[in-house]
Amino acid sequence: MSSKQNPAPKHKAADEITYLRPVSNCSGCGDTKVSWSVREGMRRFNRQLKLKGKDRYELIYAADRGCGNLQGYHAYGIVDAIFCMGSGAIVGDGIKESCSEKQIVVTASGDGAYNFNISGIKFAAKNKKFGAINVIYNNYNIRMTGGQIPLEVDFDKEGSAFGFEMIHINPYRVNDNAELFKELYGRYLNKEKIMVVADGVCVLDMGKDAKNSGIRMGHFIRSDECLDLKFAKERERVAREEPEKLKDLPKFKCRLCGIGLRCHALLDNDPGKCFGCGACIQFPCPVGALSFEGPSFSTSISMTELKKT
Amino acid sequence: MENIASFDLGRMRLSGNQAIARGVLEAGVRVTTGYPGAPISDVQGSFEQLAGNIPKTNPFTIRVGEMLDQTGYQLAAHWGTTTNEDNAAALALGAVICKADFKKREFLTEEEWDLVYGDTVFAKDKEKRIPVGSRVMCSFKHLGANTAADALRVAVNVVPYTGGLGIASGDDRQGTSSQTMQDNKVLFGFHFRIPTLELHSPSTAHTTVKNCYRLFEELGVPFAVIMNYDLSYREVSVDPVVDLDMEVNHRRKGFTRDPKHLVTIGPHIRPRERKFHSKLMPLFKQKIIENFEFLGNRVTEYGTEPKAMLVVNGPFREDFRLVDDDPALKDRLLKKYGDVVVIESNLVFPQPGALYENLVSKHPIEKIYVFEEGYGRVIYLQLLDLVNRRNLEVKILDLGIPYEPRIYERFSYIDHILNV
Ligand code: SF4
Ligand code: SF4
Ligand code: SF4
Repeated sequence: MSSKQNPAPKHKAADEITYLRPVSNCSGCGDTKVSWSVREGMRRFNRQLKLKGKDRYELIYAADRGCGNLQGYHAYGIVDAIFCMGSGAIVGDGIKESCSEKQIVVTASGDGAYNFNISGIKFAAKNKKFGAINVIYNNYNIRMTGGQIPLEVDFDKEGSAFGFEMIHINPYRVNDNAELFKELYGRYLNKEKIMVVADGVCVLDMGKDAKNSGIRMGHFIRSDECLDLKFAKERERVAREEPEKLKDLPKFKCRLCGIGLRCHALLDNDPGKCFGCGACIQFPCPVGALSFEGPSFSTSISMTELKKT
Repeated sequence: MENIASFDLGRMRLSGNQAIARGVLEAGVRVTTGYPGAPISDVQGSFEQLAGNIPKTNPFTIRVGEMLDQTGYQLAAHWGTTTNEDNAAALALGAVICKADFKKREFLTEEEWDLVYGDTVFAKDKEKRIPVGSRVMCSFKHLGANTAADALRVAVNVVPYTGGLGIASGDDRQGTSSQTMQDNKVLFGFHFRIPTLELHSPSTAHTTVKNCYRLFEELGVPFAVIMNYDLSYREVSVDPVVDLDMEVNHRRKGFTRDPKHLVTIGPHIRPRERKFHSKLMPLFKQKIIENFEFLGNRVTEYGTEPKAMLVVNGPFREDFRLVDDDPALKDRLLKKYGDVVVIESNLVFPQPGALYENLVSKHPIEKIYVFEEGYGRVIYLQLLDLVNRRNLEVKILDLGIPYEPRIYERFSYIDHILNV
């Protein structure tokens, strides 16, 4: 039987299927959690300096190829520029030459891109004209494209040798990280050079490790106080009682957590899609409706440590 | 309002490399990047001296340096520190995509502006002005284009944000001081597909470079200028009056968000790539024709019934100007080719097809002789394609040479044209 949608071209064999693979990050992906903290940190930085409107500092986020790149696809406005593999840091230094003094450039690369163009990152460390905040999404591997064996990196030794101050973060502790970035923006303006290594950003990969280690990861919980859940009930009522008014109602009331953390589990309100990354634990829900139950990577990204919890 | 600072530098000798540097400064370029390597080191080397990164060592940088100090000219220079050409080009990309100022339209009509800028965040600008920022120059030797290919290819997907970027390539086609010979016209024209010109003279290179910035920045596309080994180092005596465009140099800095253009992922770049080749390329050709002389090209008719057309490019063009000064050479030309139309052209890519068609329909031209240097035969192949596509009743003859056959002694390109 032929379907009206997507009719198979005549020359195609009956059993030939093309899977359309939507471009998006996995629910708990650490890259997106770091990005939230980078942006939230800027908001807090401006608030601390009591800057408003045009006086505020602005973030420019130059990323690299790989999963960090996917964030640029969403209409979430996280990534501002992505060009070629390994170019995040050096493109960032180009932007610094031509952007305004009120714009702070953060660059981000995966660990694969770090190895691909280590000299571009070294340039950012040595360029005396500007400060640098270079984030490394460290998933220990180039895993999403097939589990390649990586070239080992000792970030602490290499980054320090370039001249960076090294800071390691757990990508899922989003509030702690936002506070950290708030502090780093001031130091960037002081022309300091900082490399932030976000360890264990690939939740997909760590999820497999956890499963193999017999750890059952936890999941998010939304209480009835959630503005979206309440609003969904209201929409149901309107649909039932005043259907003509439905078209004037927005679809959602809040979605802050889902959009902020770029998480399908939250957007779909489906704990089954939750990877247990734990970012929800520190996410500042305006009504405190978000919580988490069970082990999460925000406690630790080490399977041995997680087993103990 | 234009703000030009003019300085008479007095008589001095300028090389092709220094002529490019002069054109770049006259265009108000603020950010320069590159990676050293013969024969083009002196382009970025001049900027390094002028930016104060290394001492000034020659009359050109010493005198120009005084000018820049007096005017408060802003110049950033990153050279050997970039570590390779790919980084130099990526740094240049970052610097050129920041657009936070505007200039009035000079070359585009309103509809053409819609075509170039209509899908950017500037689309709503009522006066349809050109969003601009720092002009940027990136220079390296021919082999550098292989290293920088990743960044240069992506530049096409980021149009019109890469308008204002100029690339200077020093081609060592005969391998005088390189381990590999290469014709970069192939890469810049056929692979990167950006407007590409081959410069021919230290006396005129600065004007061509300056005018390329003016035109191609507005069209939103990077451009490349190529020099052969001989031109890079050849010096001529000139009396330069240098006109610095301070308005351009002091443009407002700032990055304007437009992730649909600046985040290069499949869903964003596919429509751009299509538009670049099917819509923008014809526009570039049209604008090149409209500004043919502005870009330093010339059509001359010798006699009234020309059956032949000569296209002379690069060093052939440089030597061809001798015909204007030497009646004996002109006689030899007419004897060999009869009445003839000569196109003295910097243009490597894209070729202004309609201009050729027009000349072929106007005159009884039977043969077009192409004189270019480089094994890639980039001009010849484009004209061949034009003739086939448009079914023109004319023969295209490839009379170029792959590279200058002599080292340390200049080859006579005019003899080649007249004797071949
Ligand atoms: S903990 Fe929160 S952010 Fe992480 S995967 Fe689950 S729902 Fe998404
Ligand atoms: S594969 Fe890993 S790094 Fe890539 S989007 Fe998924 S969780 Fe993130
Ligand atoms: S942030 Fe809080 S209120 Fe808003 S959707 Fe998420 S859980 Fe609900």
